[in-house]
Amino acid sequence: MAELKTFKGGIHPPYNKELASGKAIKEAPVPREVVIPLQQHIGAPCEPLVSEGDRVELGQKIGEAQAFVSAPVHSSVAGTVKAITEVANFTGAKVKSVVIEADPSQPEFSKKPGKDLEALTAEEIREIAKEAGLVGMGGAAFPTHVKLSPPADKPVDTVIINACECEPFLTCDHRLMLERTDDLVAGARLLKAAVGASKVIFGVEANKMDAADALRSRASSYPDVEVEILEVKYPEGAEKMLIFALTGRKVPPGKLPSEVGCLVQNVGTALALYEAAAWGKPLYERVLTVTGPGVREPANLMARIGTPIATLIEACGGFVGNPVKLIMGGPMTGWAQPDTSAAVVKGTSGVVVLTSDVVDLGEEGECVRCGKCVDACPMFLSPNFIVQAAKRGQWDKAEMWGALDCFECGCCSYECPAYIPHVDYVRKAKAEIAALKKK
Amino acid sequence: MALDNLVVTPPPHLKSKEQTAIAMRDVLIALAPISIAALVAFTYNALFNMAVCVGSAMFFEWAVRKMRKKKVTLSDGSAAVTGLLLALLLPAKIHWLNMIIASFVAVVIAKELLGGLGRNLFNPALFGFVFIWIGSGFLASWTGHLGFLPGGFDGVQAATPLAYLKQGLEGPVPSYAALLFANYGGAISEVGCFWVLLGGGYLLYRKVINWVIPTTILATVFILAYILGSDGLYQILAGGVMLGAFFMATDWVTSPINRWGQVVFGLIIGILIVLIRVYGAPSGAVAYSILIGNAFVPLLDKVFKPKRFGEVVAA
Ligand code: SF4
Ligand code: SF4
Repeated sequence: MAELKTFKGGIHPPYNKELASGKAIKEAPVPREVVIPLQQHIGAPCEPLVSEGDRVELGQKIGEAQAFVSAPVHSSVAGTVKAITEVANFTGAKVKSVVIEADPSQPEFSKKPGKDLEALTAEEIREIAKEAGLVGMGGAAFPTHVKLSPPADKPVDTVIINACECEPFLTCDHRLMLERTDDLVAGARLLKAAVGASKVIFGVEANKMDAADALRSRASSYPDVEVEILEVKYPEGAEKMLIFALTGRKVPPGKLPSEVGCLVQNVGTALALYEAAAWGKPLYERVLTVTGPGVREPANLMARIGTPIATLIEACGGFVGNPVKLIMGGPMTGWAQPDTSAAVVKGTSGVVVLTSDVVDLGEEGECVRCGKCVDACPMFLSPNFIVQAAKRGQWDKAEMWGALDCFECGCCSYECPAYIPHVDYVRKAKAEIAALKKK
Repeated sequence: MALDNLVVTPPPHLKSKEQTAIAMRDVLIALAPISIAALVAFTYNALFNMAVCVGSAMFFEWAVRKMRKKKVTLSDGSAAVTGLLLALLLPAKIHWLNMIIASFVAVVIAKELLGGLGRNLFNPALFGFVFIWIGSGFLASWTGHLGFLPGGFDGVQAATPLAYLKQGLEGPVPSYAALLFANYGGAISEVGCFWVLLGGGYLLYRKVINWVIPTTILATVFILAYILGSDGLYQILAGGVMLGAFFMATDWVTSPINRWGQVVFGLIIGILIVLIRVYGAPSGAVAYSILIGNAFVPLLDKVFKPKRFGEVVAA
């Protein structure tokens, strides 16, 4: 077999995709109450546009910011604003949120009359993305319209659709590729038009050949759309890794993909852009995977933003076994939850429940300098030395060993025989370095 | 459904099967063939030595950790590995107190005290061995016997294969086959390097070590020995080269972390082994060379720091 395209470093964790990959997307129940944080993205938080007691319609804009780097939020239900208050989000941080009591019966979203997508200008597409509150839906949640506005001196020639879904367990992107192939390709071409690129490449990992085939048969009618198969390896879908694997271009440290003429968006975002442009639908719901050995019936669900985890788990038959980790997001980068209260946000790609028989909570030991973290790091950093420096409070050294280039993929900790939580140390180091630079 | 067991830790939430304790267990398994060969050759002498070295190494590790109020990590097996390696480096007939001194130096001084901020610079077993080796030779000039106590090092007075090489080959020289399988004096591990290779192969197979350091050392010794007019094959088969190349120079803690650092480290050790053997003392060359190599590790780690992804080399 020919070598598949990929990057250097990385890991091969057990993927466990089969738990949910065969499950067609279905609607999650609408909860009695949704909690919609006014900041679900990287950038400025929104100001609420509604107040307590107001009626809101499905898809109504309820929060907006003046800043460019921000994304408005919309109501995911028809109902009544119960409160505007600080609520702990999935990271545990308190975020001002709009709590809406949902009407017992919910309307269908009424699609606006179709637009001619081919006729939209770049400026119009950016405006649509912004109005619909689009953000990167793979997890980072960076506002899409900002990404679609690269600096004028850095033209983008290639749009890459991250269709790797390299996080273990998650299958929602896989399902979208199978079930919404045509819309997805249309959305990808809108992204292309927005930045004036000459082609779109879908990067699909080799464990989703059915999705790749579906995309290929659709793409055959467009000469500007390509589908590439990539090695199954984590983190294949990381922006810099993906760009390198597909184009051979290397984004320099501290730089953005536009530096090498690329734009990367994930499958969910491309589809959301299509829905926003063709139907006038804002981003108030998303597909996510509820899975893991601790979930009775794993599923891919279309869930409203603001739905608490508890509702999703219930929709999947509840917990089984002895759940010890409840993770918002994928198991490599997601956030462990203390309970089921956290609400789905735009960047939530899944809820993974791990049971005691699959979780290995080893105790952190001393680094034995085995070098496994160095070999695994896709950014070619020295995770062990970053940790060593962080432990001693030598932040300049932590920076020298690459702390700022770490994108927290977790490959190092996955391989570490001493159970060292590198990502935790890196986050500390990043905060300290940032504080030092401010001075 | 009870959710009382939920734990909140930073990501990632998946973990490979790698564990320090498993790696150390693999090293012990890999040392089994040569240890058994040593037991067959030296019977209860070897058994006694191994018991004393392993036992005292574990005791000192436990004691020093307790005293320094650090977590006792005996269960990871690294103290047992240090003790066993030490026993394998020493000759069969050696006074038990010498072994305890060596073990103390290895664990308390080399591993804990010279460790300072989180890592020891020198391979503990080798450090303990060299301490007793040099120390006892030094003492011999005063007391007339080897070792710190009477009845010290009998084994080393017999002509070892390396002494043959050095002293102009009197008497029958051991054949290559004999070096691979038979007992030729010196340390109790010098009972056939085939058994060491077998263990080394296991470590490679289990990915506890990679091939870079052993290969570089063996190739360097082999080639440089020929260049200097010595028998290269004989040089890598005789003495502790195999044991050093597979089990001591590859010690995670005391070897460079990056590939190119490992290559240079192997080169340094290989060159030193040949130079010391050809121009210096016939025995102990491997131990000295690896310890000197250890001293270069911090420098090698800095010099061969990996180039970050996308980093442009300053023109
Ligand atoms: S993987 Fe862990 S033990 Fe090995 S060098 Fe890295 S931090 Fe140290
Ligand atoms: S140091 Fe950062 S980028 Fe490198 S493997 Fe670890 S988490 Fe990933």
